[in-house]
Amino acid sequence: MNKSFHRRAWAGFAVLLVLMPGCPSERPDPAVEREREGIEAVRIEGTGAILDPGAGFWNEAPAFSVQLQPQVVVDPRLPEAAVGELEARAVHNGEWIGMRLRWADETRDDVLRTADFGDQVAVQFPIDPHGPLPSAMMGHEGAPVNVVQWRAPFQRDLDEGAPDIFDLYPYALVDIYPDEVLGVIDARAYTGALGVDNPISRPYESPVLDQIAEGWGSLTVKPIQLADGRGVWNDGEWTVVITRPLFPITPNDPDLRPGTATNAAFAVWEGGSGETGARKSWALWVPLRVAE
Amino acid sequence: MPKVYNWQIGREMEFPYEGVRPKRQFAMVMDTNKCIACQTCTVACKTTWTPGRGQEYMFWNNVETKPYGGYPLGWDVRILEKLGVRDMTGPVYEGKTIFEAAPDGEIALGYIPEDEDWAFPNVGEDECTGSMEQGALYTMPHMQWMFYLPRICNHCTYASCLGSCPRQSIYKRPEDGIVLLDQHRCRGYRECVKGCPFKKTHFNPITRVSEKCIGCYPAIENGRQTQCTITCIGKIRLQGFISKPDEAREDNPLDYLIFVSKVAKPLYPQFGLEGNVYYIPPIHVPPRYLTQMFGYGVEEAMETYRRATEDKKLLGALLLFGSTPEIIERYEVQNDTAIGYNKDGGELVRVPIREPIHVRAAYDEQYETHRTNIT
Ligand code: SF4
Ligand code: SF4
Repeated sequence: MNKSFHRRAWAGFAVLLVLMPGCPSERPDPAVEREREGIEAVRIEGTGAILDPGAGFWNEAPAFSVQLQPQVVVDPRLPEAAVGELEARAVHNGEWIGMRLRWADETRDDVLRTADFGDQVAVQFPIDPHGPLPSAMMGHEGAPVNVVQWRAPFQRDLDEGAPDIFDLYPYALVDIYPDEVLGVIDARAYTGALGVDNPISRPYESPVLDQIAEGWGSLTVKPIQLADGRGVWNDGEWTVVITRPLFPITPNDPDLRPGTATNAAFAVWEGGSGETGARKSWALWVPLRVAE
Repeated sequence: MPKVYNWQIGREMEFPYEGVRPKRQFAMVMDTNKCIACQTCTVACKTTWTPGRGQEYMFWNNVETKPYGGYPLGWDVRILEKLGVRDMTGPVYEGKTIFEAAPDGEIALGYIPEDEDWAFPNVGEDECTGSMEQGALYTMPHMQWMFYLPRICNHCTYASCLGSCPRQSIYKRPEDGIVLLDQHRCRGYRECVKGCPFKKTHFNPITRVSEKCIGCYPAIENGRQTQCTITCIGKIRLQGFISKPDEAREDNPLDYLIFVSKVAKPLYPQFGLEGNVYYIPPIHVPPRYLTQMFGYGVEEAMETYRRATEDKKLLGALLLFGSTPEIIERYEVQNDTAIGYNKDGGELVRVPIREPIHVRAAYDEQYETHRTNIT
């Protein structure tokens, strides 16, 4: 069953490579030239994680316009993606790299209910900047990628506290929960994904998931979470910072040390339009240079 | 998409994965003629599996009044509207399944219900098709009707929830065909909620991943029937295993009901999922409605059921419903008694085909009192 799934994915990949912006064309196009130059992570002062989306130093980094396309390679997909463009800036302080991503989104979607999805943005790096470039579509076998994904509902949890059922459904009726009458061990059976420590369910100190992928459907949350970030929605616009250490610390961390020429790919989900999982808009590899 | 054989629609159809039938297949037969909508099954399931945080609106088992009830609201009407009304009037279904009717970019035809749709699990309770004229009550047949439809996950052979999940977080157990949703692997995309036409996967907004009926697998592994079955007040359920369509065994009560007497029918076979919960159609309801709901052969099933007393094997199988908490793997009818056996051949239960009738004098000499018919 996996085989036919991958075959489908690869066929699509081949098609997209041909359509991909940045492929050599006969006449030089200024837009293509700009894309070739890519994103430059400029050096700033400081230490530790880079978290402030409103800091002045972002103005020192050139803004790069990332053009997004709807994901149309695998099903399920959406015919039209809600977000078409993303402004990306990058800085580093010799220890951490920070990427600030900004895009227009009329609705702030950070509450999850059955029919309500959350806004999200992700940056992807090859783990090995010197090896063959992994598939931009979540890597491929033997060529893993690091996917750092910021989630609006996680941000809301951190800013306002995780919701209980009455925050989500004010008229919910509840008699009693198992954890009110049973000990922790016995009540665990009634906690679903939380009880088995699903990385999507458990509380975090960061709104960003540090993950690895080696192809479609293989996205896995890393056992040690190093990435961090912060996002704010203001007046129809998200501004989100995603930050991670420049040097590999745990297995399968990307190598982004100063002087590295690597790549970054992007994905955005507009929760209000039902975008989730494979239903997203994305940009394939954009060159990323980490200044000395 | 690969082609698989779906016996319920009598033909091959498209499915995202190669068709590999499990070694055994969990199945259930429900006799809608006997359900009283007491919701004991619903509560048994709820208290066993879903009393936790985030499961407040989640009913893996629910009982709805047809034609108007539905949990979530209008689940059947909405998917039929999308698929188009395509009744199954012959053994081979000519229309499209939800996989074949999938729009571009989708794995199956589906939709996500609104939150409100899950909020009233017993909406439409006891409402019949229309009002009765004065005195109409006293003449038969009644022109208005309703019936109760208890529902769990169908643990489908070609599960759309499974086919719709891009992370392959849903799997079908080879040992018993129960369809499970991996609580560690799921990322809450809700493609399964969209893809299951029966709306039997649910989103837990507190854990932020989806959940579904687990077919009481810890009970099944120990030879016991599901909670909803063993608590059923109306004894309308029989849970066990269904054989592969070409390997039906007359001495398996489920096979007898489904393949031999053909009295039990699948729910919306035209969706193409080959669900494994079967229903004995309610015999007072117009066949046209039932044909849409249970597919081809409903009228014959109703007729067979009406004449069940003429077929001792059928009657025996029907009498085993609710007779034991253990799974009956084999049965026989001997000397007007239905006998159920477990998988090792051990006798589980004996049910007389006809309950003995005791006639007693109205006056009890010993206690010097008049008897009422409940003493
Ligand atoms: S317990 Fe049995 S009779 Fe009662 S509602 Fe459930 S299926 Fe119907
Ligand atoms: S009824 Fe729905 S949830 Fe259950 S196996 Fe079938 S498709 Fe999946």
